[in-house]
Amino acid sequence: MFELVRETYRYRELIWALAAKELRIRYKRSTLGFLWALLNPALLMLIMTLVFSTISRNLGIHHYSVFLMSTLLPWTFFSQTLSYSVESIVSNGSLLKKVRLPKLVFPVAALVSNVINFLLSLIPLLVLIAALRFPLHWTWIYLPVPMIGLVMFTLGVGFLVATLNVFYRDVAHIIQVVLSAWFYFTPILFSLDFVAPSYRWILRLNPMLYVLNGFRLAIYYGMVPSIASLAMSLACGFFALLIGLRVFRRYESSLVFYV
Amino acid sequence: MSSEPVIRLTDVVQRFRLIRDRPDTLREAFTKMFRRRDDFQLFEALEGISLTISKGEVVGIIGRNGSGKSTILKVIAGIYQPTSGRVETVGKIAAMIELGTGFHHELTGRENIAINGMLLGYSRREMRALESQIIDFAELGDFIDSPVKQYSSGMYMRLAFAVATEVYPDILLVDEILAVGDAPFQEKCMLRMRNFTASGNTIVFVSHDMHAMRNFCSRIILIHNGKQVDDGPPDRVIARYEELVMRPADALRT
Repeated sequence: MFELVRETYRYRELIWALAAKELRIRYKRSTLGFLWALLNPALLMLIMTLVFSTISRNLGIHHYSVFLMSTLLPWTFFSQTLSYSVESIVSNGSLLKKVRLPKLVFPVAALVSNVINFLLSLIPLLVLIAALRFPLHWTWIYLPVPMIGLVMFTLGVGFLVATLNVFYRDVAHIIQVVLSAWFYFTPILFSLDFVAPSYRWILRLNPMLYVLNGFRLAIYYGMVPSIASLAMSLACGFFALLIGLRVFRRYESSLVFYV
Repeated sequence: MSSEPVIRLTDVVQRFRLIRDRPDTLREAFTKMFRRRDDFQLFEALEGISLTISKGEVVGIIGRNGSGKSTILKVIAGIYQPTSGRVETVGKIAAMIELGTGFHHELTGRENIAINGMLLGYSRREMRALESQIIDFAELGDFIDSPVKQYSSGMYMRLAFAVATEVYPDILLVDEILAVGDAPFQEKCMLRMRNFTASGNTIVFVSHDMHAMRNFCSRIILIHNGKQVDDGPPDRVIARYEELVMRPADALRT
């Protein structure tokens, strides 16, 4: 874990350059360019609000769009980062075979570029909140805490799938299926209160629950989570990172023979 | 030139798994799944290589295709961790196993200089300081701010060569570097490489251009089937190589 921090720091310029390159390529040659980073979540919000406005009225959730976006945006960050990380080592295979590089720069760069994307997506959310005259809670300042949990968790799973995908390319396909199932298994469109109490324990097995709970409480309810929930969110992130990093380190030196 | 060793390989063995065949059908894939372990065979690319290269030397590695030349470069560079044996190096290594590795087609020449430099282990600031020299050397002029996908292949290679050599690493490892550009540019490259070693930097490179090798190398290593066959002055080793190439193919294990 310490090594991760040290190597990330040592190669910060390269990681930054790779992340910037990824973003620049993602938006280059489109007329609106970087605006898409803002437009994408904005349009998503618009669609979601229109689609779910009736449902939300029936459920009695005010400003369902804010309720939804408070967890959907971090979730999108998670799933998008994984889609990038899973291919990050394989797609840079020709590079790895020709230049000596610490392989961790690729999953980390995938994370960094998506963190930037995520932070940009908060801008349309703020616009939405202002437009709806929804209160901007002071608990926004608490957001860095669930963010740390989310980043650790995402990076951990990212390392794991990026490594596995080198040996079994099926992983890249499987992860997409897993992510879409996981999405419905996570309280994003709904909240835990809508689930029958006898089934809630199943959802509590979901490590994403705790982290997303932090986001929703802070953005939508203007509250901070309980110490237990907070501890769970950080612990899930920490263990995911520990396991992901372990697996990655274990196979790091042989990856080049399989990419 | 000093005889301070900067690269030392001791009994380096590099083994690869060769995947025998890919399953074509789903059924094959399923049956293969249960005997995954039989899917590959071991291939020894390097069978115990030992060599020492000293500071300021220009060493060429020759051999037929698939003899293990590039594998040696990759082992020295640390890209491959050898199956057994030891690799020791002193100083900063820049490995350009293929010129232009890491160039991104959508990015401009200038952006690629920065990224390429960082891939070689240099900082953004160091690269910025060298930027104008690199552009001059590569003779790119106004093209430097266009995406490299619009470059001619000659421009592309010139830029790649300029980046790899302008940083003056202690050890430069290159594969087929001499096939860059037209005659005047090649002349310039040769001069650059000479300056390079005159200032105490070491070059190890792989090439099939025997003429250039003879002109340029102080020492040549001949590799055949993963084994070191000869190591010494260019004329002698190249003669050995030509003899080896002349032999009928069926006399060789390849």
